[in-house]
Amino acid sequence: MSRHVELDEDRAVTAEQITDSMRRRLGDGLLDSRPAGPTRLYLTVDPAKIVDAADELFNGLGARFVISAGTDERENRGGFRVSHFFSFDDEDLYVALHALVPEDDPRIDSITPIIPGANWAEREIQDLLGVTAEGHPDPRRLVLPDDWPADVYPLRCDFDTRDRPASAEGMAPPMKNRPEGAVMVPVGPYFPTQHEPEAFAVFVEGEVVVDSDYRGFYNHRGIEKLGCADLTYNQIPFIAERICGICGFVHSCAYCMAVENAAGIEVPRRAQYIRTIFLELERLHSHLLWTGVAAHIIGFDTLFMQTWRMREPVMWLCEQLTGNRKTYGMNIVGGVRRDLPADAHEKIEKVIADVEREWSALTDAVPGDRTLIARLEDVGTLTPDQVRQTCCLGPTARGSGVAIDLRIDHPYAAYGELEMEKCVEDGCDTLARTLVRLAETPVAIDIIRQCLAKMPDGEIQATIDEEIPPGLEGIGAVEAPRGESFHWVLTGENNRPKRWRVRAPSYQNLQAIGPMIHGDVLADVPIDIGSIDPCYSCTDRMTVIDRRSGQMRVMTREEILDRR
Amino acid sequence: MLIAMNVLETLWTKIKQALICLRPGRVTLPYPFAPHDPEEGFRGLPRLNVDKCIGCGGCANVCPARLIRIVDKDQTTRVLVFLYERCTFCGRCAEVCPEGAIEMSREYELSTDDVHDDMIGEYHIFMGPCERCGRCYRPPSVLDKLQQPGFRSDCIDRKCPPEGCRIVLDEDTDDRAEAPTQTASR
Repeated sequence: MSRHVELDEDRAVTAEQITDSMRRRLGDGLLDSRPAGPTRLYLTVDPAKIVDAADELFNGLGARFVISAGTDERENRGGFRVSHFFSFDDEDLYVALHALVPEDDPRIDSITPIIPGANWAEREIQDLLGVTAEGHPDPRRLVLPDDWPADVYPLRCDFDTRDRPASAEGMAPPMKNRPEGAVMVPVGPYFPTQHEPEAFAVFVEGEVVVDSDYRGFYNHRGIEKLGCADLTYNQIPFIAERICGICGFVHSCAYCMAVENAAGIEVPRRAQYIRTIFLELERLHSHLLWTGVAAHIIGFDTLFMQTWRMREPVMWLCEQLTGNRKTYGMNIVGGVRRDLPADAHEKIEKVIADVEREWSALTDAVPGDRTLIARLEDVGTLTPDQVRQTCCLGPTARGSGVAIDLRIDHPYAAYGELEMEKCVEDGCDTLARTLVRLAETPVAIDIIRQCLAKMPDGEIQATIDEEIPPGLEGIGAVEAPRGESFHWVLTGENNRPKRWRVRAPSYQNLQAIGPMIHGDVLADVPIDIGSIDPCYSCTDRMTVIDRRSGQMRVMTREEILDRR
Repeated sequence: MLIAMNVLETLWTKIKQALICLRPGRVTLPYPFAPHDPEEGFRGLPRLNVDKCIGCGGCANVCPARLIRIVDKDQTTRVLVFLYERCTFCGRCAEVCPEGAIEMSREYELSTDDVHDDMIGEYHIFMGPCERCGRCYRPPSVLDKLQQPGFRSDCIDRKCPPEGCRIVLDEDTDDRAEAPTQTASR
């Protein structure tokens, strides 16, 4: 954070300045610099210089690390492409750092020592593509199942989507060792207040958390593989929408924006407004849902019931407008599929007016509740520097005073034409993250009203006559209720993407759970985890702890069946 | 004093909370004991109208969940198999259908207690030479443009007079019995 602030005087980094400063730092190591419009910059560097390049962007120029992606390009370029993505939020600029790693020596230096937030991203490439991150401080397996064979890499092109490696028994996740004198407490895989399965190993001394570990990705669904191998451009939005069970629209939107960005498709303004309306309706019902879930975690079920009651009319409204309460199926490359019905304005206005009225009654009654505040205040502290290091997003970052909001920083859809302010709190605790979401709910209602007032008539889909040529890349990013949802698309042959990379906000936010719960008491851990509004994949196993030795062991399927 | 104020404030918020709960009363719906109709415009299970279908296979081509399978049973019958258990109700099939043969119904209650219910919809489309006039189904049609595997070339290639007969035997109901038939297991 400190270096981020120092740069304040000479802000406004332009694409040219970035290229210049990279050239100074890397010399011949900068192989190519290709701006695509004012908001995207694609750099290709020598893989030997990748750490220098990442250091220059992250520490030198103060960029935010977004995500990494690995692509199998052995067929056309003779190697694996490793890409790191960075964002300059104040300048509305995304920078990609590409490096081609040779096929016979698939190794690249790890950037995690300088950017802790790249930890999972690099391990994922290592797992799925087999490009080793040299010098990674924690190179354990992350995504693949524990019994997955060591030399099978599912994201490589020669791995067929229908291949199923044989399963093995007696495998256990490589969890951290228990610190001396600490006791391990499992939170998950099935934990009553977490609405999805996840496995945290929390190490406590007495009541106080001293360390933790996380194992997720148990039911990794291989959506990216499906998208690169089997599906066509216009089939993906519907799969993308099912990545998240609450905020799916952001994913289909970000995907479509990435393809439109790559192919230079101009989306009609009316479609942009329709997308904006549904993005905000989704934020509205997602924040209502989160408020309920958070209240439920701390045992305040009255609030849980009431926010979910208030949420339901929003879901019904979406069903009327799109045909489904949650998976709207509205997005398609080039626009939206369904226009709003003639009476949509009245319908939307009626529902949001009701929610607004009830919400103001609720926000009047709830924050004065001392019991509630006592449970949230000074709990799950996350400093701005930790936010920068772990690259957190959304309300998690904004609750720590780090004002990242893509709707203003990287305006997309119709947000460039609307007026809004970022909701930022500097309490750095769970209460601050709660207050950010409470404040964002009326903002969402206000944005919907602005959209309804300003929405132009006209087409809702761009005409796409020609096939999208291969070899183009595009980035789409949407401010989901939980933070930035980031999609990168590399176009390929046969009306299919060559590579589709998805990064949901919880991917970064979950990596901040470690620092967040450190030093808290055990009873606060569930609400700490809940405060980032996490989205997990599913898991189907069970952890057993031997009380005497503290050893952890994962039961096999046969053992579980035997016990029944 | 401070404590007393805190207690009073919390008490006051609790009263407000109680009012919020009391005002809407009971909102839980009696579903499933009473039916709950979906909203207007709901996309439910897709249903195919065999009288309109020309067997072009556009629906199978765009389906993201890939649940529509097309098999040619013989020279004159094309079977469209809908594996409904995979359906996500996205409605792309209905959107691209050039003949408007697929309609998104309002059905959504798909769970069943019948173990033999395999959730498969099978639609038999009559293709190829018309049984009445002996000529083939009219080109140029969507079929001509589709050059992908799984489509029969024999009926696409055949030339047909421009006024060519549309094989759906609307006028003559006697012939219908053996032409387009619809069997659906649910």
